[in-house]
Amino acid sequence: MATWNEHVAIGRPAPTVKGIGRAMKAAFLKDPRALAILEDMQFPEIEWFTDNMFDRMIECGIAEQNGAGVAAALASEGFIPVVNNFLFAGMSRAYNQIRQSILVDRFNVKFIAREGVWGEVGISHATIEGWGSLRVLPNLVMINPADAVEAEKATEAMMQYLGPVVIKQEMSPDPFTIFSEDYPFNIGKAYSLRDGKDATIIAAGYLVTEAVKAVDLLEKDGLDVGVLNVSTLKPIDEEAIVAAAERTGAIVTAENSSDINGLGDAVACVLSEKLPTPLVKVGVEDEFGQSGLITPERDELMEHFAFSAADLAVSVKECIKKKERVR
Amino acid sequence: MAHDDALVHELEAKAKVLAADCLTQFCTFSQGHVGGTMSVLEIITALYFHHLKFDPKNPDWPERDRVIMSKAHCCEAIYAALVELGMYPRETLGTYYCYGSPFQGHADRWCTPGIDFSGGSLGQGLSFAAGLALSEKLKMKFNPPSREDTFLPRYIVRYNPRFRTYCILGDGELHEGQVWEAAMFAAKFKLDNLIAIVDYNKWSLDGPTNDIMPIEPVVDKWKAFGWTVYEIDGHDLRQVLDALDLVAKQYGDNKPKVIIAHTVKGRGVSNWEELHMHLGRGEEMMKGVREGRAKYGDVE
Repeated sequence: MATWNEHVAIGRPAPTVKGIGRAMKAAFLKDPRALAILEDMQFPEIEWFTDNMFDRMIECGIAEQNGAGVAAALASEGFIPVVNNFLFAGMSRAYNQIRQSILVDRFNVKFIAREGVWGEVGISHATIEGWGSLRVLPNLVMINPADAVEAEKATEAMMQYLGPVVIKQEMSPDPFTIFSEDYPFNIGKAYSLRDGKDATIIAAGYLVTEAVKAVDLLEKDGLDVGVLNVSTLKPIDEEAIVAAAERTGAIVTAENSSDINGLGDAVACVLSEKLPTPLVKVGVEDEFGQSGLITPERDELMEHFAFSAADLAVSVKECIKKKERVR
Repeated sequence: MAHDDALVHELEAKAKVLAADCLTQFCTFSQGHVGGTMSVLEIITALYFHHLKFDPKNPDWPERDRVIMSKAHCCEAIYAALVELGMYPRETLGTYYCYGSPFQGHADRWCTPGIDFSGGSLGQGLSFAAGLALSEKLKMKFNPPSREDTFLPRYIVRYNPRFRTYCILGDGELHEGQVWEAAMFAAKFKLDNLIAIVDYNKWSLDGPTNDIMPIEPVVDKWKAFGWTVYEIDGHDLRQVLDALDLVAKQYGDNKPKVIIAHTVKGRGVSNWEELHMHLGRGEEMMKGVREGRAKYGDVE
């Protein structure tokens, strides 16, 4: 079995939304300035909030553009509004409102945004392009936690941070528990789960779980592969990425979103400037998401988008071949 | 309610000074949103020189009344008011549009103290204003004023908001769906501390507003959305002052208010009025500036 760095304890699958909900409850109890901006799209732990925080829930209805403007104004008056929605509705629909009313003045608005290609929701809700579209916006911190533990810590960090932050609540199968309870999360810092020698998988969100599975598969073939969890897409941790490239000389990026302007492109930009390295991107290749059947035996979407551990292992081997050719 | 003649005359004179200041700004790059700026001058004058709770020495005063210029291309009028209030030296007018100037082409809260909203992308101001009005309500609810906070009698504290929010909308802006989302929101949260003013100058960039996309019946629309509506002549300062006083006194009726101010685009300058000029450029605009200078005086 593969060995892991400190603070990594691979465990049972758990939904990230639980972690977000726990941290959000704690933040609301601790800070009376926190407000929940609802857009008719269940807030995490909504029953608890309805029972305990009813005064601090601002229901804006299915009017996301107005919701973003209202959140901006509340933040300008010292409140900490938290907007919860699907990314395509809460953020892509209100893209210009977020840009103009919130980010231009760097108002302290927090977003929880659901995105990803898993489930039976269909093409409208299985969006993959929104996350990349946010990356060009100045002043926005973007976090995509890998598991429930990191989601809880990231949410806590988001609520303490001064400035706009978005946390992606990925629509995916439940990820493994990756981190132990004492894991130190810092905004803007990547965390190496395992250093490796032959290649590094740089992953975020649910794909960290698949990367962890892929490490075991590749170990059977005699390959020592590292995993770097880059949960903060922006600002990205250049040092950790360059260090991983130096260590292993072959990089595979993996993300549950479009491979245009996502983690893969961010890593590619860093490496081509600082340390050109053979690289393979795994992500959705310029197409829309869709719905599919997921059963314990078979996952149609996993097959369609080639996101499984076996597919990742193929990409890693391909990348190692590239590396040898370069040498 | 009647305002004395002296006040009205004084404000009318002030409006002319603001007009001259706006002309100076248009000159810097021979460009400016002349139509909407000239049509909103009397409203800005009445707000900044009589009605608002606003301290030019302390533009971040938490209890100041907020003015959200949703049609932020007409922020020249507010810049002129800030100059006349002594917040900026008169020379700043000549830096309008310039790199690094506090007087940017569209209002920018970040670099211009005294401006409450970075606008320019139309339709967003009313949402922001509604959010400000809501935060005033929330602050009153979570943190009600105590006896120690003020020497004023309790009934005055109870029956006045800590601040009011004024939002100036253009008529073409009412095409934006977000305005009506915000209108529903304000009615739902009973934002009686929110006052919208529509500068209804009937003309947009491409032509008559009601040909481009009819907004009529505009009064019935606002009424249907649960607002109290008043219609005035936006160039008659007495009507503007009366309307502002009236809506302020109606605080406590749980309804947001809107003042539909009928105005004339490019008002006061004949060729701007004839052309219904929105964005003035070059010689055509400078012709108007020369006419305006003869009328309002040259401040330079």
